[in-house]
Amino acid sequence: MDFKNPKIPEGINVSDEHPLKNFLYLFLGVVGVIFLVLLILFFSIGFIAKWIPFEKEVEWAQSIGASVERNNKGDLLQDLVFPNEAETSNNSIEDKLRAEKITAYLQNLSDKLSVAQKLPDSMKITIHYIDKPVINAFAIIGGHVFIYQGLIDVINSENALSMILAHEIAHVKNRHPIVALGRGLGLGVVLSLVTGVGVDGFSTSIASHINLLTSLAFSREQETQSDIDAYNTLLEYYGHGFGAIELFSVLLNSNQSSGLPELLNSHPLSENRIERLNKLGTSIVDKCTDTKLDCSVTPLPSFIKSPASK
Amino acid sequence: MIVTNIEIIPGRRVIKHLGMVQGNTVRSKHVGRDLMAGFKNIFGGELVGYTELLTESREEAVDRMKQQAQAIGANAILNVRFSTSSVAAGAAELFAYGTAVILE
Amino acid sequence: MYDLIILFTLLFLGYIFGQMAEKKHFRSLIKREEEYREILTFAKRFPLNNNADQKAELVGGNVVISVDYFKRFVATLRNLVGGRVTTYESLLERARREAILRMKEDAKQKGLNAIVNLKLETSSITKGSTSQVGAVEVYAYGTGLLSSHSL
Repeated sequence: MDFKNPKIPEGINVSDEHPLKNFLYLFLGVVGVIFLVLLILFFSIGFIAKWIPFEKEVEWAQSIGASVERNNKGDLLQDLVFPNEAETSNNSIEDKLRAEKITAYLQNLSDKLSVAQKLPDSMKITIHYIDKPVINAFAIIGGHVFIYQGLIDVINSENALSMILAHEIAHVKNRHPIVALGRGLGLGVVLSLVTGVGVDGFSTSIASHINLLTSLAFSREQETQSDIDAYNTLLEYYGHGFGAIELFSVLLNSNQSSGLPELLNSHPLSENRIERLNKLGTSIVDKCTDTKLDCSVTPLPSFIKSPASK
Repeated sequence: MIVTNIEIIPGRRVIKHLGMVQGNTVRSKHVGRDLMAGFKNIFGGELVGYTELLTESREEAVDRMKQQAQAIGANAILNVRFSTSSVAAGAAELFAYGTAVILE
Repeated sequence: MYDLIILFTLLFLGYIFGQMAEKKHFRSLIKREEEYREILTFAKRFPLNNNADQKAELVGGNVVISVDYFKRFVATLRNLVGGRVTTYESLLERARREAILRMKEDAKQKGLNAIVNLKLETSSITKGSTSQVGAVEVYAYGTGLLSSHSL
């Protein structure tokens, strides 16, 4: 018998394909597919979310609130949005009474604006006033609108305040919060699937995102749409749109637009918003001088300003 | 003690089979080695520390198997097999087993 | 953003050093395989030549090789798509050939000139609880013989 170990040629078990080429194909392919899925999800969820009945939205907002309340005391929705600042409630009775008074005033105003905006009867706006020097206001699912003292302090008339409220009511009316929530959740789901969090980490990762999602930014199209709706509401309610111009001028001066280019910012820049609204109203200043319209501005009640700013 | 992984020893005859003998050891690597392995995980290449550790461990497993064989009076172990399994994160079991026999 | 920079730096380092190491390893494998060619190796279960074999002893060699960052990343991507994970193919090929070579070295040191009943055992050395392949160990063993096959 003859025994031999002949030389076996190289490259049979190892493929010749260049690793970088392999990498490029894979990377582009996977990134492309993820992007596509995200895109489809983004649009389809936005589309579907509008068909979710508003009552469901209210239920969800309550259940989220309830689950938070079980763990924390205090204003549950405030906890939800600001878990870190929840324990700053060292307010005196006087402050609490003032907050109640302001909330009642804002609620009353928003109810009138809701009628002017022809908000469907099934939708109910609940105003939450937050006594913090933050220049912000936002709407979340279930028709909850939050407004900060800081924003109230920088404006000078009821018209501007109405513009803010009408803007947030328009978000609710157009179902923007639920769309944003759906998109955010979809994004989270896809990302956690891709990064391989697995089934166990799945639900917890969603839960941890809920805080973030409730205050998730709306898209710029949604903001523009709300601006237009709010402006029309002002026209309906006051007969002119001065409040809108005042609000955005004030925001412009208070440097709220943070200097980011418009593309990167979720809100349109204040200059552009004014310009856009001017076009819409075909220069309201002219309208006021030409016709015999009452273009006077309603002042704000004195109690609404924070004591420090007086 | 002759140890092979074939079933016969050339030129010699088995006069008695004594059944299976085995040797095992569970080893874990220490933190320093893990650290070095972490670097190697970026650049690739041989993890010399692990190679040495596993060689030592296999030798120990074979040694234990030989001790068992000696204790039952065998002078050879045939048909030896090795098996490796990771029992926990960072620890591996090395196992050697074979048939103890008495050669003529 | 920083995460991305770190990721691409690691990928780059992994690619450069990993490719270098792999090329070097293959060159050395081919060279040493030539050197140890005279030690014949078979996966058969019986001695080559029953009467002429004078010695039989267990020989073995092992190696632990780790994949580089680049390869692991490509394999993770491949995991999503499915198909041949070419980056791991070369890793296992290298590890097996290296282990066999070391077994032959062992045989030569023990004064043997043939190996029969070659067995290969592959296990993944996992780090942490993830089931990802970080490094593989290959152990090659067989019975070394002093055989008169070529005499």
